[in-house]
Amino acid sequence: ALAAAATTPAAAAPAEARTPHLADVKVSGRVVDENGAGMPGVTIVAKGTALGTSTDADGNFTLSVPDNVTTLLFSFVGYKSQEVAVSGAAISVTLAPDAAALDEVVVTGYQTQRKADLTGAVAVVKTEEIRDMASNDVTRNLQGRVPGVQITTDGAPGSAATVRIRGFGTLGNNDPLYVIDGIPTKEGINQINQNDIESIQVLKDASAASIYGSRAGNGVIIITTKKAKKGATRVDFSTFFSVQTPGPHLQMLNTLDYGTVYARAAINDGKVPSLPYYNFQTSRDANGNIVLNGVSTPEFIDADKTMRAADTDWFKETQQNALIQSYNLNVSSGSERGGALFSLNYYDNSGTLKYTGFDRITARLNSDYNFLGGKLKVGENLTLVKSQRAEYDLNLVRDRTTQLPSIVPVHTVDGVGWGGPVAGMSDRDNPLRLLTDNKQNRSNTGRAFGNLFADAEILKGLHLRTSFGIDYSLYKFRQIYKTYKAGFLSEQNNRVTDNNRFWGNWVWQNTLNYDVLLGGKHQLGVVAGSERISYYDESSYASRTNFASEDPNYAYLDGGAANKDNGGGATAYRLASYFGKINYSFADRYLLSATIRRDGSSRFGADNRFGVFPALSAGWRLSEETFVKDNAGFLSDLKLRAGWGQTGNQDIANFASLGLYQSLLGTLDPNFEYDRGTAYDIYGNDTALPSGYRRFQRPNPALKWETTTQTNVGVDFGFLENRLSGSVDYFVKNSKDILVNLPYLAVVGEGGDQFVNGASIQNKGWEFLLSYQNKLENGISYNISGNLASYRNKLTYLPAEVINAYGGNGQDVTRLGHSINAVYGYVADGLYQNAQEVSEGPTQIGAAPGRIRYKDLNGDGKVDNFDQTWITEGVPNFNYGLNLGAGFKGFDVQVFFQGVQGLDAFNNSKFRTDFASLATGENWGQRLLNAWTPTNTGSTIPAATLINTNNEGRASTYFIENASYLKLRNVQVGYSLPEGFTTKLKLQGVRVYVQGQNLFTIKSKEFTGPDPEVTNYQYPVPRIFSTGLNVTF
Amino acid sequence: CNDSKFLDVEPIGALSDDQLNTPANIEKQVIAAYSQLGNDVYRAPYTSMWPYGNVRGGDAYKGGNGTADVDAFHFYETFSFNRVDVGNTDELWFLIYIGVSRCNDALRRLDVVDASAMPNKAVRQGEMRFLRGHYYFLLKELFKRVPYIDQIVPTDKYGEVSNVALSNDELWTKIADDFRFAVANLPETQPEIGRATKSAAQAYLAKTLLYQAYVQSETHAVTSINQSKLQEVVTLTDAVISSGKYSLHPDFATNFLTVGDNGVESVFAIQFSRNDGTPKGRVQRGNELAYPMNPDYGCCGFHQPSQNLVNSFKTDAQGLPLFTTFNNTDLTTPQDFQTNTVDPRLDHTVAIPSHPYKYSPPFIFDTSWLRDQNTYGVYMSMKETVLPSDPSFQKTPPFMGSSKNWALIRYADVLLWKAEALIELGRQSEALPIINQIRQRAANSTARLKTTAGTSTSNYKIGQYQSGQWTQQYAREALRFERRLEFAMEGYRFFDLVRWGIAGPYLNTYFDKEKTKRQYLQTARFTVGRDEYLPIPLNQINFSKGLYKQNPGW
Repeated sequence: ALAAAATTPAAAAPAEARTPHLADVKVSGRVVDENGAGMPGVTIVAKGTALGTSTDADGNFTLSVPDNVTTLLFSFVGYKSQEVAVSGAAISVTLAPDAAALDEVVVTGYQTQRKADLTGAVAVVKTEEIRDMASNDVTRNLQGRVPGVQITTDGAPGSAATVRIRGFGTLGNNDPLYVIDGIPTKEGINQINQNDIESIQVLKDASAASIYGSRAGNGVIIITTKKAKKGATRVDFSTFFSVQTPGPHLQMLNTLDYGTVYARAAINDGKVPSLPYYNFQTSRDANGNIVLNGVSTPEFIDADKTMRAADTDWFKETQQNALIQSYNLNVSSGSERGGALFSLNYYDNSGTLKYTGFDRITARLNSDYNFLGGKLKVGENLTLVKSQRAEYDLNLVRDRTTQLPSIVPVHTVDGVGWGGPVAGMSDRDNPLRLLTDNKQNRSNTGRAFGNLFADAEILKGLHLRTSFGIDYSLYKFRQIYKTYKAGFLSEQNNRVTDNNRFWGNWVWQNTLNYDVLLGGKHQLGVVAGSERISYYDESSYASRTNFASEDPNYAYLDGGAANKDNGGGATAYRLASYFGKINYSFADRYLLSATIRRDGSSRFGADNRFGVFPALSAGWRLSEETFVKDNAGFLSDLKLRAGWGQTGNQDIANFASLGLYQSLLGTLDPNFEYDRGTAYDIYGNDTALPSGYRRFQRPNPALKWETTTQTNVGVDFGFLENRLSGSVDYFVKNSKDILVNLPYLAVVGEGGDQFVNGASIQNKGWEFLLSYQNKLENGISYNISGNLASYRNKLTYLPAEVINAYGGNGQDVTRLGHSINAVYGYVADGLYQNAQEVSEGPTQIGAAPGRIRYKDLNGDGKVDNFDQTWITEGVPNFNYGLNLGAGFKGFDVQVFFQGVQGLDAFNNSKFRTDFASLATGENWGQRLLNAWTPTNTGSTIPAATLINTNNEGRASTYFIENASYLKLRNVQVGYSLPEGFTTKLKLQGVRVYVQGQNLFTIKSKEFTGPDPEVTNYQYPVPRIFSTGLNVTF
Repeated sequence: CNDSKFLDVEPIGALSDDQLNTPANIEKQVIAAYSQLGNDVYRAPYTSMWPYGNVRGGDAYKGGNGTADVDAFHFYETFSFNRVDVGNTDELWFLIYIGVSRCNDALRRLDVVDASAMPNKAVRQGEMRFLRGHYYFLLKELFKRVPYIDQIVPTDKYGEVSNVALSNDELWTKIADDFRFAVANLPETQPEIGRATKSAAQAYLAKTLLYQAYVQSETHAVTSINQSKLQEVVTLTDAVISSGKYSLHPDFATNFLTVGDNGVESVFAIQFSRNDGTPKGRVQRGNELAYPMNPDYGCCGFHQPSQNLVNSFKTDAQGLPLFTTFNNTDLTTPQDFQTNTVDPRLDHTVAIPSHPYKYSPPFIFDTSWLRDQNTYGVYMSMKETVLPSDPSFQKTPPFMGSSKNWALIRYADVLLWKAEALIELGRQSEALPIINQIRQRAANSTARLKTTAGTSTSNYKIGQYQSGQWTQQYAREALRFERRLEFAMEGYRFFDLVRWGIAGPYLNTYFDKEKTKRQYLQTARFTVGRDEYLPIPLNQINFSKGLYKQNPGW
C-alpha cells in the first residue's frame, strides 16, 4: 500500500527526494499508461523508506535508493499501484487504470485520504464524464451522477442548480456546503469554470462531513481545482459551440379557440358571452338556453384602433434558438521547486429566451513553491470572475407568455408601439416588451475567491499549515425602467436605479496534520485545527426619475431630474471553530476514524453560541483478510463501513436570536405586498415625514444550533479485478431543533417573526452504485455505470406551540409522520355529472354538474376543512442515473440517462391549462377545449366557467400528477487523433467531439404539463447540440 | 473568551426593543402607529373598506375584470360562496392587528416613561388609545368577536386570549374605554394636523356607543336599543358640534377633492402623501383599483355603483327620495337623467356615461372606459378618485393612486349620528333640522356639476323634509336613506344595515331585483344569522389551536 498518502490538500504531491546516506543505487526507467504514452507525475517511492520521486513530462524518472531497497512502488491517481523489484536494468512500468480507483486520493476535509481508507459515505464524481457538457454550472452536470444527490434545474442561462443531498434535512436553506480548495462557501458555484476542476467529491454522511460541522448539515461538496503537475509543461486549449433549442412549453389557446372557450364558459354560467374584443353570435334554443353559433374577432381590439386582432404565439415571439460558446486556455508548468497553473475561460450563453444571456470570464492562478528541501511549501489558489447576466425576472416573463391572450398583437399598427392588454383582460404585460425593454438591464458581478497557504513539515509526517482565504464579490446593476405603453398598461416616467452590493468573507484556517506508520502496521493520521470566518454584506441603491433620454449611455443617475431616492443596509456574521480528527488503520484492514468539531456562531444567543459535533466511523476491509483472499479469489475488494456523526446548521437570519426594530420609509413594491412603512405625514404637508420603527423580529434568547445526526452503513465491493465494482449505503438522518421562522397568530402583530428550534425531520434511504468496465481483446473498451437512490422523509417531532404552522387541519391532523414536501388537501373524486348527483352528494359550496366533486372524507355530510388529507408526500420512489461509455482506438462514446420514478407532484401549470376561472382575463390552455359539458361527460377537465364558485384552485388531488420521467441527458461521441499524427503536429493530443443534451424525455401519460421536471412555468430546459475541440500542446 | 469577543457581532441597521424607550423614540413609535392607518393593500383594504361596506351593502358591485378578478370580493358580494378559508379575509384580520400591535408597542413604552421626561405623555397615550380604538372598531364591525389584547398582556400570553373571552357588549365597552381615555386626555387642537384631537375622540366614542346601543343577540339579531347609550351619543356629538371647529363644506364636492384635505368637514382623516421622501409615496392603496380604464388612467375598473344605488338618487316632485318606489324603474340612458329628477349627490358619487368625470366638463365618462360592462354595468365610483391632472394623483403601475386624504370621520357623519340617536330616542323633531342641513348643503352643491355648455349635468331637484309627516318611523326611514345618499361608496353602508338589524331582508330584497339585471347575482343570497359578519379566518382558528370560536353559521 501507498505510504503516507494523507497530506494536506495542497500538499498532495509525493514526498521529495532526499540526500542519500547509505550506499546508493541509481535506478531509472520510464512509466507509460495503458496506451503506451509516457505518464508524467507518477509517484515512485522506495518501499520501506520515505524516499521517492516522480516522473517527468515524458514519464522518465531517476532515483537514488539505498542498496537495501528491493522494491519500488509506483502510484498515480486513478491507476493501480504497482510494485516493481529493483534491478540493475532500466525499469519499464506500464500502469493500468484502476477500475475501483482504490488508491485514488480523496479530499475529505482539511486532509486527504486514500479512497480505500474511507469509512464514511463519500462519492467521487467522474469529472471526465461531465467536463464537456455545455453548462455554466458544474453542479447541473452532476444531475443523476451521484446516488443520493438530487439536482433540479431550469434552463435559465445564468441560474444555479438546486442541489439536495440525501433529501430535505431542514426547513430553511437545504443547500450543501461547497469547499473549493479548502475554502468553504455556500454560493456562486455557477461562477466556477468547470475546466478548472480536477475532482469533485461529495461527503454525504455525517461521519464524513462533520469535520465541517457547523455548516455541513446538508452535506458537503468538495471541489479541487487543477494544479500544475511536477515535471510537466502543458498547454490545453478547449472550445465548444452549442446550439440550444427551447424546451417544451404549455400549449395555450389560439385566438379563435380562446373565444370559443370563453363563450362556452359564459354559457355554462348562464350568461350571454360578451367580450369587448370578440364578436359572439348567439341565439336561444327552444328551452331558452343560450346557443353559440359562431365566434369572430373585430378588426381592432381597442377603441383607438391601434391594435389589430392577432393570433400571436407568445412563445414563438419570445423564444429563440441560441448559441453557447466557450473558450478555455490552461497553461501549467511544474518543477521540483514548485509549479503554476494559469487558466482563462470565456463562456457565453445567449439563452433561449430573447435577451436573457449570461456570460462569464474566469481567470485562475494556482501555484505552489517548495523551500528548505521541500519542508516548507507556500502557495495560492486564486480565481477572479466577472460575470454578466440578464437581471430581469425571467419566470415573470414566462408567466406573461402564458397569460397574455393570443388576440393581442405584438405591436400596434404603426409597427413600433407595443401591443398589450385591453379592457376585459387582466393587467398582464407583453412578454416581448418586457424582454426588449429590459435588454440593457444586465448586472455585473465580480468575485475574487482563493487562498494563500503555507505548509511546513516540522517533523517527519507532521505538517503545520495555515491558510488565509477570501471570497468577496461586488455587484453592480444599473436598471433602466423605460417609459412605455402596452395596451392599458403604461408608464410615463422613466426611472434608473443603481444597485451596488459588496459581500463576502474571509476564512483563516490553521491545521496540524500528523501521519505516522507505527510498527509497520499501525497507520495513524491526526488532524487538529481552528477556523475563523467573518462575513460582511453591504448594499445600497439610488434612483431618480424623469430622464431626458433612455439611451443606456445617457441614463446614469445624474441625468435624472426628479425623485431622488436611495437606500441601503448591511449585515454580518462570524464563525469560530475548532476541530480534530483521528484516522487509524491496522494492517490496512481495520479502519477507525473519529472527529470532533466545536463551532461558535454569532447568530445564536450568547448562551447557546457553541455547538459540539462529534463523529465516529469504522471500516473493515474484508478483502485484505487471508480467509477471504484464499477462498474468494474473484473478490478484489470488499469493505464494510459504518459511521455515526452529527452536523450543525445555523442557516438563519444573522441576528436571529434578537428582538429587532427598524425604520422603514416604505415598502419598495407597495402594490402587491402591503406597505410595512413606518413614516406618516403627521404635518399634512407631504414633506419631512417623521418615521417610527417597526418590529421585524421577536427575540429568542434560547435559540440554539440545529443538529443533524446521521448513521450510515455501507459496503464497497469489487469483483473480477475490480472490473465490476460498486457500493451500497443505507442511512438514517435525523435533524432536530430545526431552525425556522414560522407563521404566527395574527394578534402577535407586526414583526411576530421569530426564529425557533422547531421540528425534527427524519430522512432514511438507500443508495446503490454499480459499475462494470472491461476491455475486449479487439481493443474495444466499455463501461456501464448505474446508480439508484431512494429516500423517505418525514417529520418526527413538532413542538406544541408551532404544531399547526406546518399544515394540517389545525385540530387533530398535523404533519407528523409526513414529508416536509407533503401537500395537504382535498381528494378530487371526479366531476359531478348531473343535478341528481349534486343533490345526493354531501353539502359542498359551489357543487354543480361539471364541477369537481370533493370527497367527504369524514362522512359528516359536508365538505369542509376536515375533509382534507395528505395527498402526496412529494418524494419520488427513487432517482437514478445510467451512464454507458465505450472506446475504440481513438473513438469514445458516452450515453447518459437520468430519471425520477414514482414522484407524485403538484402540477401548478394546471391552474392555467384547466381553468378559465382561476386566471381571468388571461390566456388558458388548450386542454380547456376538451372540458366537461353535458354532452362531453367523459372529460376529466371540469366544465369551463368564468367564476370559481367551487373553489377549484384549492389544493386537491386534481393537481397531483405522476411526474416520473426518464431523460436522455447526454450523448457524446469523441475522437482523439492518433498519437503519431499529433506528434507530427508537435501536439500532445487532439480530441474533437459532438454532443447532444436533453435529447428526449419519457414521461407518464398522466402528466399533463410539457415537462415533468418543470412543474411551474419556469424557463424551460433546452435541448443542446454541441461540437467541441480539445487540444493539448 | 477570545472567541466570545470575536463572535460578538452587534446587529446592523436595527435597534433593540430597549433602545426605543427614550422619549424621542417613543414619539416615533406613535408615528409608526399612525402610519399603519394608511398601510393598505388593494386585496384587503381597511381604509376605504369598500369591499365590505359598499359591495356587501348593495351599493356597489365588485367590478374589475369579471367575477373571478379578486374573487374573494365576489364571494363577499354574493355571500353564498364565501368561505372560512378565503385568504383575503385572513390578510385583512392580520393587517388590522398590525395597527393594534403598533399602538400597543407605543403604549407599553408610554406606560413606563416618566412624565417629567415626556411632558406630553398623556396626550400621546390618548392618541394611541384613539388609534387602537379605531383598529378594534374595524375588527369589531367586520368580525364581531375578536381577541382583545392591550399593552398589558405579555406577548407570550397572546395565544391564550380567545376571541370569545369578552362578550359582544364587553368588547364594545373596551373599545369605548379607549375612546373615553382619549377624550379625557387629548387637547382640543393639536399642533400637527394629522393627530387625533379631543373632538375626534368624542366623535369616535359617539360612533362606538351608537353601534353598541343596538343590542345584538348571539345570532346578530337586534333585540333592543340602549337608550342611555343613545343619550350619550347625543351628548358627545353635541360636544363636537359646539366645539365650533367643524362645519359642512359649502360644496359637497370639496370632500372629494384634494383641496378639501384637512378642511372644516374633516374631523379625523388618514393623511396620505406623495413626493414625500418615501420610495413610492404613501398614496391611497386601498382605492387604487377604482379608476376607469381610459388612456389617462389604465386600470382597473373595480368598485362600480349598483343600479339600485343609482336609482336611489331619484327624487320626487318635492325633491325627496322615493323610499319605496325608487327601484321600480332604472336610470340607464342619458335621457333618464334629464326626464327624472335626481339628488345632485348622484353626480358627485357616480360616474355616468356621457357625464363629465370628476367635475371636469370636457372629460366625459365613456362606456369605453369600462372594464367589463357586460358583467358589471356602466357606472363607476368617483368619490375616491382624482383627475389625472390633480396634484395628488400618482400612477402606481398597474394601479392608480392619490395622496388625497381619506376621511375616517367627516362632520356630516357626526351630524347624522346625532340625528339617528335622537330619532331612536323618540326625539325625531330635533333630528329634522339636522337632516335638512345635510340636504341643504347637497342642494347647494351643483356648481361643479356642469357640462361644457354650462348646463346642469342632470336634472337636479332636492328638497327639505317637512315636519308634518315627521313621525319616528318616517324619520328613521329618512335618516337611513339620507345616510345612504350622503355616504354612498364611502364604506359604511353594510355596517349601517347590520347595526340597524335589517341587513338580511334588505339585501335579499335587493338581490331579488338586482339579479334580473345582473346575471352574476343569480346565486347571491344573504344568510341571516351568518352573513352579518365575516367568518373568523380559518388560519387564525388553526393557529390558536381551536381557542378561537367561529362565528355562528360558518
